Amino acid sequence: MQKKRKEKSLVMTNRMYLFLIPALTMFVIFWVIPLLMLFRYSITNFNGINQNYDYVGFKNFITLWKENIIGISIKNTVTYTVILVFVSNVAGLALAMALNAKIRMKGFYRTAAYLPTLFSAIVIGFIWTYVYMPSNGLIATLMNQVGMDGSKFNILAGFKSALYGITIVDIWKNIGTAMIIYLAGLQTIDESMLEAGQIDGCTGFQLMRYVKLPLISATITINVILSVIAGLKAFDYVFIMTNGGPGKSTNTLMYTIYKIAFTDQMLGKSAALSVIAFIVIIAITIVMLFFMNKREVEL
Amino acid sequence: MKKLLSLILSLVLVVSVLSGCSSGKDNSDGNSASNGGASGSGEKTVITFMCSGTQATEGEDFETQTLKKMVEAKFPNVTLEVTKLPDDQYYTSLKTKLATGEAPDIMWVQPRNAGANAVYALAKAGYLADLSDLNAAKTVPGTGDFNYDGKVYAIPCGVQFLGAYYNKDMFEANGIEVPTDWDSFLAACETLKNAGIQPIVMGDKDAYVMQFGLYQLAANVVYPKNAEYDNQLADGTTKFTDKDTWDRVLSMYSELYEKGYIEKGSLGIGASQAIQQFIDGQAAMTFDGTFNAAAIKASGAADFERGYFPLPGNAAGGTTYVAGAPGAGPAVYAESKNAELCKQILEYWFDAESDLCKAFQNNPRFITSYEGAPVDPLFNDFIDAYSKGNSFYWCNQAWPAGTENEMEALFGEHIGGQGTTIQQITQGMQNKFEELYTE
Amino acid sequence: MTKRNKSNIIIHILLCLYTVVTLAPLVIVLSSSFRSIGNMTSHIKLFSEFKLDSYIAAFTRMNFPVVFMNSVLTTFGSVIVVVLIASMAAYPIARIKNKRSRFLYYFFIAGLVIPSQMVIIPIAQMFNNLGISYNRFTPMIMFITCSLPFSTFLFTGFMGSVPISIEEAAYIDGSSLFRRYFGIVFPLLKPATVSVIITQGIWIWNDYFFPMVFVSRSSQFSLPVAMIQFLGDRENPAQWNVLFASCILCALPLVVLFLVFQKQFVNGVAAGAVKG
Repeated sequence: MQKKRKEKSLVMTNRMYLFLIPALTMFVIFWVIPLLMLFRYSITNFNGINQNYDYVGFKNFITLWKENIIGISIKNTVTYTVILVFVSNVAGLALAMALNAKIRMKGFYRTAAYLPTLFSAIVIGFIWTYVYMPSNGLIATLMNQVGMDGSKFNILAGFKSALYGITIVDIWKNIGTAMIIYLAGLQTIDESMLEAGQIDGCTGFQLMRYVKLPLISATITINVILSVIAGLKAFDYVFIMTNGGPGKSTNTLMYTIYKIAFTDQMLGKSAALSVIAFIVIIAITIVMLFFMNKREVEL
Repeated sequence: MKKLLSLILSLVLVVSVLSGCSSGKDNSDGNSASNGGASGSGEKTVITFMCSGTQATEGEDFETQTLKKMVEAKFPNVTLEVTKLPDDQYYTSLKTKLATGEAPDIMWVQPRNAGANAVYALAKAGYLADLSDLNAAKTVPGTGDFNYDGKVYAIPCGVQFLGAYYNKDMFEANGIEVPTDWDSFLAACETLKNAGIQPIVMGDKDAYVMQFGLYQLAANVVYPKNAEYDNQLADGTTKFTDKDTWDRVLSMYSELYEKGYIEKGSLGIGASQAIQQFIDGQAAMTFDGTFNAAAIKASGAADFERGYFPLPGNAAGGTTYVAGAPGAGPAVYAESKNAELCKQILEYWFDAESDLCKAFQNNPRFITSYEGAPVDPLFNDFIDAYSKGNSFYWCNQAWPAGTENEMEALFGEHIGGQGTTIQQITQGMQNKFEELYTE
Repeated sequence: MTKRNKSNIIIHILLCLYTVVTLAPLVIVLSSSFRSIGNMTSHIKLFSEFKLDSYIAAFTRMNFPVVFMNSVLTTFGSVIVVVLIASMAAYPIARIKNKRSRFLYYFFIAGLVIPSQMVIIPIAQMFNNLGISYNRFTPMIMFITCSLPFSTFLFTGFMGSVPISIEEAAYIDGSSLFRRYFGIVFPLLKPATVSVIITQGIWIWNDYFFPMVFVSRSSQFSLPVAMIQFLGDRENPAQWNVLFASCILCALPLVVLFLVFQKQFVNGVAAGAVKG
């Protein structure tokens, strides 16, 4: 009933849609139409340079399927995203809780955690290759000092471990943002609610699960969304640190799209992969938003 | 009414911010367009030049400083705007700019099919101006690699080689002579290894460095037997899977990993880290190109004399062929409003008598073949072989861009213990070639 | 010792560990930026040298004052426009509750996850069709466009916490739609605005991709593009120490802003997001 009344609201008139015009115009012209143009290229053999191209039907899609590019890149991207979402949220929340306690030097810890966010990904990627370097990298050196065999440590060379290696860098860089958002969420919790919980005999865990988490559910939503986006877009550290290697073990969707377009010079094929990526991403987003909205109400 | 007015106002605000971008440029650009090539008026013509590379941090940078300064001195009406980007970024940027007709007047292109800025691809799409009439196109050696359909489209900046940099002190201490055939090379590695020295370090995390060794072997294994090998790939007469061609090259190179001559875990080391290990005296050799000589010569933790020899892929008693090719060079954008002026600039640049050309020859980054141009003694053997004709181009220059990446990825799997066989690598290269090859 | 003190000590130890992990790579960057230009010995050997050569080279060869101004202008310009048009767009989407609004909401959200590398060539062709020429301000178009989805998303969420009753009162007082929005609603969006400025400002400041593609002259480059000129490639070794110095120069303005406005910064990111 209430909804209906609002539709006819005198205050919220349809004229308000005029406010949308600037944003919508830009978004459509510089984002939606180019995306549609890209979709059109997916059925051509356009190489990105020569304007004389032919329509080749679904050949690009078939090649992508046959070469198993779709499978590998989706699997890598999803792995990357799941780890990123899980670790950066759990760690970010834990960090925020620690910083929410009444302790000294809060400002210092907070600044330290947020600093990596401000640096350019190129330099971050390079410096982490020194952290990971076998034999005399930072981690290997530390391992040697505590009596472990540092020469065995070579995370970026491992076909199974390289993907985790670059995910860690992304987590390291983005944990600060998650932490700050959680911190803010925690600060909005009314002390009296917690006291009430304690009086009711809640254990620390119960307090967490049934009082704190529900109260910061909006914060969780936004953090999860942010990290899912970051994960699905994973490109920078693959590009800088591994170039998809060793072998093809760190080819994420976005890196593969880039590589096919700019190295193999097959914009048509890369556009076909973009179409697939787009569908996958939209599907994930819809599922996630649906789930998130539902859960938020439940909690 | 008031509401509408205010809304329009806010729209105007947004639009003006946006169009402010273009109007700012219109002034300057309009001027350069109307005065394109004209002389006399005080306005300057802006010529844009985009190339790939890294800004020099010590001394003068050739493209962004020397070239700019001298061209502007010679052509007082010209402002030369030089942009230098690392190659991946350069490719992306150039491609996007070509797609919009905002391409630079002078651009950096690579010989034959090499890279995303390959002269063949760009000439075929009609983006490059014909430079055949220039003096430079006739006098500068190496323009053959920039010849598409009988026309020259770019002027090469000297020549480049691939080789093995080695630690002379280590070789001497272990009584090793510079090897001249494959077996003696393996023997040298074995001696070093037995002496507890890592024979070779490679930064295979940056997979392109695999080319540095492989192409040298191909120059000795594949091309001497059939110089037309790559051309025949196109019509299917030859295939990567043919026996005793690439299977041999790859298994020879793979042997270096199997025997531990190339550092274990090389897949986790970056190219610059590998160079650093070499100059720190942690390994006796590294395969690299003449283009990285400056980094190789930088002082590190160890003090030793550097040497450079072509990796001998030949049998004992045979000739060692070097992998040498003309370097990338400038080409002129066909649609440039100032194409004629750009050609004059190139003439000036490559005219052996001009000051600019002298500065160019004297820049250690380029190995030019001008009479009297200084050459690093490190490269003497290579230049000898090259001038005798004992050299072959770099393989990827004859392949559609992307074939070499497939090779690197599969070879990475091979040495990384993923069970990829040599046969699967050559098959993969063949498949990729067929997928990418057009025409 | 009380229980509280004990747990505080554990928290301190964990936080210290975490801080070390966070800062270690950055300390390497800082220490290497103070090396002489050619010194590429293991970057793990911290502060083996203390020279300003790399900074001087970075400063002069990047043409720092010029590219810095370009960066400041484009970042500020973009952020202002984004705040303005994204908040305006969020207004009807949040206030009018019908299918059309919900569709528009998801329409914008769909733009969240599309990376720019994917569509850069069609975008460039679009620029060409519209006759947009290239100069230092051209990348702003894409900065703004790419920032719209997230900003609109954030503003729409936050708008829900702005009570409608205030607006209804203003309506009764005879305020125009425009006055109602800019006079009453927009000022109340301040936390979300701060949040948008911070999150979008950081990526715009650090982005080299759009300025690299949409700027033709080196004098119109932004800081990150000038910085990647030191990044090496296959045939040219990187100038790492100078790159580190230029990276510090590039991040320094953000770090200073962060330290100065730390409180607003934290509360801003937070408040905008929490209610979003």
